[in-house]
Amino acid sequence: MKGLEVREALLITLRDINRFWKYKFWLGAQIAMNLADIVIFAVIFNNLVNRQYIPDYVKFLATGILALSTFASAFSIGREVGIEIRREFTHYLLSLPLSRTALVFGRIMSGTLRGLIYQASFIVLAMLVVGMPTLEGFLLVLATSTLLSASMSSLAIAISTSTRDFNLQATFRSLTYYILFFFSNVFYPEEVLKQRFPSFLVTFIKVSPVSLASDIYRWAFHYYTSIDIQFEALLLTAWTTITLLLASLLYMRNLTKI
Amino acid sequence: MGLREDLNSFYMLVLWDLSQMKRRTVFVVMRISWFVLQVTIFGLAMNAMVRFRGIVAQGIDYYHFYLFGVYSSMLFSISVSKAYDVAEEFEEGMIEYLLSLPIKRKVLALGRSVGGGLAAFLFTVPMFLVIFVLLGSFEPLAMLISILAALVFSVGVTGFVISVVLSLKSSDTTDIFFGVLDALIIRLSTVFYPAVIIAKIAPYYYASLVNPVSHFVDLLRTLFFFEEFKTIAVADPYLMMAYLFGFAAGVASLAIYIVERRVEGGGWK
Repeated sequence: MKGLEVREALLITLRDINRFWKYKFWLGAQIAMNLADIVIFAVIFNNLVNRQYIPDYVKFLATGILALSTFASAFSIGREVGIEIRREFTHYLLSLPLSRTALVFGRIMSGTLRGLIYQASFIVLAMLVVGMPTLEGFLLVLATSTLLSASMSSLAIAISTSTRDFNLQATFRSLTYYILFFFSNVFYPEEVLKQRFPSFLVTFIKVSPVSLASDIYRWAFHYYTSIDIQFEALLLTAWTTITLLLASLLYMRNLTKI
Repeated sequence: MGLREDLNSFYMLVLWDLSQMKRRTVFVVMRISWFVLQVTIFGLAMNAMVRFRGIVAQGIDYYHFYLFGVYSSMLFSISVSKAYDVAEEFEEGMIEYLLSLPIKRKVLALGRSVGGGLAAFLFTVPMFLVIFVLLGSFEPLAMLISILAALVFSVGVTGFVISVVLSLKSSDTTDIFFGVLDALIIRLSTVFYPAVIIAKIAPYYYASLVNPVSHFVDLLRTLFFFEEFKTIAVADPYLMMAYLFGFAAGVASLAIYIVERRVEGGGWK
């Protein structure tokens, strides 16, 4: 992208960020749900879990919720982009004096920033509940959040613009959301999964972007000490690069073809 | 108007609510996929993760406990989602239309509560049947009472939802109120954990004791596995049944009061 295109992408990003505050009621409910998971569900469930697998469920879930919160928030951009396609508002966007590359990257960037903004308060909460990460760990948390948020917002945009039909849009988005949500290690550790599920499913869960991010957060907050952090970070980067590339191409195509 | 006309109006309102079910195909698809993932991945993983032995009698694992919880939380959430339908009706002017019909407001409130509750219950029937199959329990009396309890519970929740939406008269406030309520009510109940475990944290325990979701889910558990669950339920089965009927009657009365005395057309924010 050239200098002018970067400026145009930033304008689109700022516009989307401003619109983010319109959804304060959705945000309120989402925050309540994520907070309730930590301060109610995890606190009570901590008395029920087998300590052999999870020594402290509150710490385990507080770090997992970091991944869940940024994922859910970044994913929300898909809903708006879907509405634009349905109402043909995209024609207006395409008529603006800016390049399509700037438009696509502006949208993905705003989705990424939404995830990061939303997650900020949960990082503070994780610091209070789990402990302070080192400077290196903190930087890793930021990088992981950016990667996860970027891949999830671009994925949501690609899915939501794949059809004009509202019902199909909502169904595709929800199914993807549920798969990423349940097929992750946010709520349960790998040892437990190995006990119950076939190895291919355990591997599938382990390499999903939400699981990779959860593992990295747990390592950065000193909950895990023995994971291959470089490999997991590399895998998450690969996920994000592929998702970004494919989703950008799809969105670019869907802007005019759907 | 006589009783005959009132009953006819009531019947038409219930039918109208049931006819709205067709509009919610996507919602059903989403709920079914959520349910499938809950009883397979989530439920099985949670079952492997907990220490349940010593809390209930032998032979029953956490998965049995959890299945009733999944069903109850789903019925609650689907009943609560009526709030968004009513909010939409307000935005479309449908509420004003209903208020202008020659129907007693008392009948209108009851008809919408029962119709909405029945629709919510019917959505969950296939999932309820799956739960019976997974539990391997087909005790006719337990099935009959549990279906009745589910119906009473969903009518109660729908009545409550209608009362609140008609009082709030705002889409945004409705969104946040029910979003937060859904998150808190489910977690502060015995859906995921038995009362004896919640009792370790007093404020959460007292909240779970007055929570109708706890009474509903524990009633289901004791209906099917009385010996195993009787000691960990929030109350005696008869008390839980009485609580559910009291809850439904109470919120239906509240809905009647609000629709009869408070609601006027317009003013939606």
